This record gives sequence, C-alpha cells and structure tokens, in this order.
Amino acid sequence: MNTTPALAPSETLAGFAALLRDHGLSVGVAEQQAMLQAAMVLGGPNGPRLNAAWRAIACHSAREWRLWPDLFARYWHPERLRGQVRVSGQTRPQRDLRQAVQQMHEQMDHAAQPPPTAAKAAPQTAADAPHAGAGDSEAGTPRAMGGASRSEPQLEALHQRDGQMWLPQELGALQRLARQITAQLRPLPTRRWRNAHPGQRLDLRQTLRRSVAWGGEPLAPAWQVKRVEPPRLFILADVSRSMESHAALFLRIARAFALEAQARVFVFHTRLAEVTPLMQRDSATVQEKINAVTAGFGAGTRIAASLQDFARVHARAQLRRGARVWVMSDGFDTDAPEHLADALRALRGHGARITWFHPTRQAPAAAAVRNAREHIHRFVPLASLADLVAARPVLH
Amino acid sequence: MQTPAAPGDRQLREQLQQVGYLADADLATTVWLAGELQRPLLLEGDAGVGKTALATALAEAQGAVLVRLQCFEGLDLAQAAYEWNYGRQLMAIRLHDGQPGTVKEADVFSREFLLERPLLKAISQDGPCVLLIDEIDRADEAFEAFLLEVLADYQITVPEIGTLRALHIPRVILTSNGTRELSDALRRRCLYHHLDYPTLAREIAIVKTALPEADTRLVEEAVQFVQRLRNEDLSKIPGIAETLDWVNALHRMHHHTLPEDMAVLLTTLGCLLKTREDRFGLGADRARQLIEGRRTVGVAEKAPANAAAS
Repeated sequence: MNTTPALAPSETLAGFAALLRDHGLSVGVAEQQAMLQAAMVLGGPNGPRLNAAWRAIACHSAREWRLWPDLFARYWHPERLRGQVRVSGQTRPQRDLRQAVQQMHEQMDHAAQPPPTAAKAAPQTAADAPHAGAGDSEAGTPRAMGGASRSEPQLEALHQRDGQMWLPQELGALQRLARQITAQLRPLPTRRWRNAHPGQRLDLRQTLRRSVAWGGEPLAPAWQVKRVEPPRLFILADVSRSMESHAALFLRIARAFALEAQARVFVFHTRLAEVTPLMQRDSATVQEKINAVTAGFGAGTRIAASLQDFARVHARAQLRRGARVWVMSDGFDTDAPEHLADALRALRGHGARITWFHPTRQAPAAAAVRNAREHIHRFVPLASLADLVAARPVLH
Repeated sequence: MQTPAAPGDRQLREQLQQVGYLADADLATTVWLAGELQRPLLLEGDAGVGKTALATALAEAQGAVLVRLQCFEGLDLAQAAYEWNYGRQLMAIRLHDGQPGTVKEADVFSREFLLERPLLKAISQDGPCVLLIDEIDRADEAFEAFLLEVLADYQITVPEIGTLRALHIPRVILTSNGTRELSDALRRRCLYHHLDYPTLAREIAIVKTALPEADTRLVEEAVQFVQRLRNEDLSKIPGIAETLDWVNALHRMHHHTLPEDMAVLLTTLGCLLKTREDRFGLGADRARQLIEGRRTVGVAEKAPANAAAS
C-alpha cells in the first residue's frame, strides 16, 4: 500500500500513470513521454505549472478534467489530504483507489482475512443517520455500494455472488437483449439531409458543383438521404445502501447498453459520478472498479440533487429532444420530496423521455416519486433478467 | 503562481494580456506547452467562455496569420482542405487547344490550379500561423477522421500531386461545445483544456479591460449580478460575451450603477438571456432578489420578495 511516490523519476511517473489509468484516463506511452518532456522543461511536480501542463496532456474529456485535481493531489501530495475532512464527515485516506484495489487483491489471496482496521470512520452526518450503524466495523475498506457486505468479508463476497448470478450464457443473453432493445429505440428523424449513395433525392447544388470538373456535364450526380439521429441513452443507476442487492444487476444491464447503444452510465447515491469509461472495458471486475469510484460517497440517496447535477453539468449539451434517461432506483430520496419533481421537470424540459426502473413489483410508493409521477414516462419493474425481457416491447 | 526566471508561459500570458485576453496561469501554460510540443489544443467549454477569442488573441499576440475553419454538418474535403480550380483548368486547356502536345496532364494538376481552403492554407503559410478549427463537434465523424492526418503530421495528401507538408507548423486550436462525443483518436492527438466560466475577480478584470470607460461600480455590480444569474436554472447560461454586451449597453445608457428601476433593468436583460423561457423565468422579483443578494437588507425587507418568488 504505497502511496508515497517512488524515487526514480520514470518509476514515479509510471506509478502516477497507473493511478490515472485505474480511473479510466487513457494514458499511454505517448502521454507519458509528453509528461516527462513537460517535466523536464517545467521542473518538479510541486509547482502549479507542471500540474496544468500534465492536466492538459493526460485529460481528454471534461469528465477526466474534473477528476484530475483529486488524483494529482492524492498521488503527489498525500500529506495534504491526510486527515482532511469532507462534508460527509468521513476521513479521507481510506478512499485511495490504489489502497482499495490492493486490499481487494490481498483479500482475494488470503481468503476471508478480516481487513486491517485503520482509523474508525468519523461520525456521520444527520442525513446518514438511518444507515449509520452498519458502517463502523468496515472503516479502512472501501464502503462502496453503501457497504455492500455488512456480514461477509467485503468484495470477495460480491465477486462470488456476481459469478453465481451470471453464467456466460446469461451474459450472452443480456447482450443480445440489449442489442434488440437498442435496435428498437426509435431514431429521431431530423429535417436535414446527408450525402449518401444511392440516395432518395438529388443534391442539385453538389451535382452542379461536381459537373464543373467535366466541363458542365453532370456525370457524377450527388444523392442525399434523410438524416436520422440515434437516440442518446443515459442510464443513472442508484448504488445506495437500500439498493445494494440490485445494484449488481443494474450495473450489468447498464454495461450491456453502454456497449450496444453507447449509453452514458452514471451511478449515484449522495453524489453523481460517470462510470462510462469503466463500463466500456471488458473486465470481470467492473463491479469492484465502481466500488472504488463510489467509495467516497456518504450514505443516503440524493436522487433529486444527482438528477440536477446530471442535467446541469454532466449531460448539459447532450440532453436534447429524443434523449432517453433511464433511472434505476427504488425512489427513496433523502432530499425533500418536492425536489425530485422539479429535477424531473427540468429534465423533461430538455426534451428527454424518462423511464424509471424499480426493483420492486409495484412502482415506488415513496412520496418523492409519487409527486413526480406525471414527469415519468413509464415505470418498469426490474429485478431480474426476465423482467428486462418482459419490458422489451415497451422500451422504444 | 510561482515566477521562475522568464518562463515562456508567463511571457505568453503577458502577450495575451496586451491584446486584451486575460488568460489564467493554467491556460497560459497549456497554450505555451501546445506550442512547445507542437500539438493541437482542444478547448472545451460552454458557449461564450472565450474559446474562439483565445485563438484570435493568440494570433494577434504572436503576429501570426489566423486561419479559421468553421465546422458544420456536411463539411467535406472540398470546403475544408482543397479543391481543383476546374474553371481555370478548362481555360488553360482551351487556350492551348490549337497547339497539340503543349498541355500535359501534370500541367493542369499542379499547385497553381489548386484552390486553397482553410486547412491547406494554414499548412502552406511560410510564416507563423494559428489555425482555428471552430466547433469541431458540429462536423461529421468522417471529417474528424480526415483531420487526423492533418493534426498528427501537419500534412495533406492530394492524390494528383502528392503529400504537401507544412513549411511552418501552425498552432492549431480546436474548439468544441460538447454536443457530440469526439473520437478518442482525435482527443489523444490533442492537448486538452476545459474552459470554465471565470471567477468574479477575473470576470471583473476582463470587463474592465474590454470596456475601460465604463464605471467601476457599474462593472462590479453587473458582473456580480451575472455571476449570480449563472447559478439560476437557465437553459442558456450567459457567457463572458453576454456580460460585455450588457455592461456596454448599460454604459451607453449612461448608467453608473445598476439601475434601481427594475423596468429599465429588465429591458436590458435581453443582452444576457437569449431564450424566451429564461426571459420569462426571470421576473422583476427574481431580478431584485439577485441584486439584493449583494446589498445588505434586513430580513423583514427581504421576506416579501422571497415569498413572491416561491
């Protein structure tokens, strides 16, 4: 569990790059070379200039851009973070992804050794109170999925359960199902035309332009077809404590759609985080990676705040007419009940169509969801793969 | 920021400042590094945060030619890179019609018959050049793939002539509003910077630089108002350009502070709010509340405004 940078510069940088890769940043040899080059020109990683330079080299999207300050500080200045208290009141060092992953491996190797206890988690905030009791014994291990294993040794159990739940043929079936559902998601017709050969109508302007090359003879007509846009799919999966037994299923399903429909996948409980890059890689440890990402989340579920964050920050430019937003949650919200209706109204205002997947047979009876019913296009029960098969005709 | 001996990024920052673009230290370092590593710079951020302005300022600061390629749906090679000047080719052939053997194919497919579009123009500059590829997310994926050759090797291949290499590597700035996911291949060829809305102090400085004649108090109050407005639930968040427009409008109306009369204020809000929903969402009450956030008012005085808004 070594978070202090090693001594040799290349080794140090490689360790940092590994940390970045763990968090879904694509940092290859080319990026590392560029980072080294920048370091040679700008000096050590203590100054703000190198931080800015490396950020420009290693980040490739807004998501990574937002993730950067935390990752940089965590690797190069762990001393600044130690003992730092966040709003949730938990102490910080336990959230290190590298620690978490390493611990995970250790646990898998020496099966069922109880995790070494670090400092106990600080008292939780009032909002966490309903769930607070369970977490204390787990301090020092990642508390993902809202502490997904109160009675069993942590992630190993998740791993096993995952394996039991998902046989290869089931995964294949899920993938096929996702493909079928994606195929029936109605594309959005637009008024625009795009070049295609053969096409429905003659692009007169282009044809005339091309004819100039043949002295005015239209030898190469240009054709156009109607342009349709595939719908954008956003999946928001609730990974709070109340959902711990269903989150694995949700994430599996989300992953299938991330691959088939290029869906963007988010997880939330007190905060919202995008996990799409983790989904796109084929790995059996998706669950654990997501555990690591959400490890810093406090307890409770802030659905309304997460949806607002989603609409205002993460998907702002892409939420357009025809966007599909799938929320997978039981609807228990620690925000005030009326906030959810506002958040959903705002989402609808962007033209998105909202489908709510709930793990129970009946649609969620929580006050927040009842108030917001009119903004939700459809409720779909989802507790197993069979439910998704049954819901197939209505997902379009 | 630390100030080691004459670093290039600091110098660049000063140069940008001289032409009226106030870049923060991180942005200046990134732009400078992009020049050092000869890599394109991809700028993302909401509309109106100064992405395009950076390119124009950089060109001006470095005395470089600015070549701009505005992307749109359906943009193709003929509009972006090059096109044969068919008219001239035909004319050349006709002129030599009576003299067999004088015009060879290579003659009409030479550089002089090539119409330079922005990309080729940028590559064939023999002095410093800034190539701005604006709103790349509006172009199709196919065009993005074509750009890879240009951005990685600074060359364009014309089948009839061969590969044209850049004489002077242009500084390339790509901007995107994030309406479409760009391909990983394109992203990895670029340095990346995400421009956010400026902080209060920086925005005040920007407005003061752009409008030195406007009253300081007006600028400070107006910028504070805009900063608060950005936290509202708007469909189009006002950018820096909008702030400048608004302050300019108020200044020309001879206001030295924010007008007390809400009716006057609301008539000028068209500079900031560009959609009907936003405009109707922000009534006199809400506007007053936003202003009052800055002025110290008693609880009793503020209560009716709150009640009215909720």
